[in-house]
Amino acid sequence: MTRFAKFVGGFAVAVAMVTALPIIARADDKDVIEYREHIMKTLDAQTAAIGMIVSTQVGDDNLVAHAEAIAVTAKQALKSFEAKVPGGESKPEVWSNWPDFEKRMKDFVEKTDKLAASAKTGGMPVVMEQMVDALTCKGCHDVYRSKK
Amino acid sequence: MNRLSQFAASLAVAVLAGLPLAAQASDPTDVIDYRKHIMKTLGEQSAAMQATLQGKAPAENFVLHTQVLAVAASQALVAFKEKVEGGGSKPDVWAKWPDFEKRMKELAANTADLAKTAKEGGAAAAQPKLASALTCKGCHDLYREKK
Repeated sequence: MTRFAKFVGGFAVAVAMVTALPIIARADDKDVIEYREHIMKTLDAQTAAIGMIVSTQVGDDNLVAHAEAIAVTAKQALKSFEAKVPGGESKPEVWSNWPDFEKRMKDFVEKTDKLAASAKTGGMPVVMEQMVDALTCKGCHDVYRSKK
Repeated sequence: MNRLSQFAASLAVAVLAGLPLAAQASDPTDVIDYRKHIMKTLGEQSAAMQATLQGKAPAENFVLHTQVLAVAASQALVAFKEKVEGGGSKPDVWAKWPDFEKRMKELAANTADLAKTAKEGGAAAAQPKLASALTCKGCHDLYREKK
């Protein structure tokens, strides 16, 4: 085989190897923001639903289920903000004050977990006692969300 | 108190004690709003879950999304039990209640299974079950007004 043929062959192998590499999907900024919004909208919907139960606008069959959904969704939230992408409704302070933001998110996880556990054992009276402290959305939003 | 008065008093007590409290029907707007909160949850969490599978969101959250989907699916049937037409729901929801109910129960069972599979085996194990678990379109085609 001539030198040139070897070179072409080697080059062809290199190209084949590169194209066979798994494509590493990367989220663009829009994806990151949209993902965060899915989680926040879930929290909004489930919080509104549990609020309707507590205010007796609808029956209480799903009280525990809503508390559980909120607790699990709270666990999704912090990770969705790890990628530093200001925008959507997120102020830059989310990342410039990350230790505080992170602490608030972790508190939220802990308190909603407790709310879900309490809902299972104590039902409505316990949920009514704990929900204001657990669902501290406004406190965080006042600091870290751009006004709608 | 004479016998007649005693009888009347006893009768009154018996009647009042025996009256079942009439169940307070919910305001129709509230019923519709409540259903929408649950459907919204299913939509948002489905989209979020897909994003984790497409590399557009943290893969670690995949299992959590399957869990919320399962819980929200378990909330859905109850939300439609009270017959309140409107808000995107066709009258067929209640006219064909046995079928609607069956579909909702399957959604709850299949998403619960999906969540269990995801927890035990991750996205790789759960992915083959996704299409059969998230049968939103099939139900919407029959029971939801076209958007």
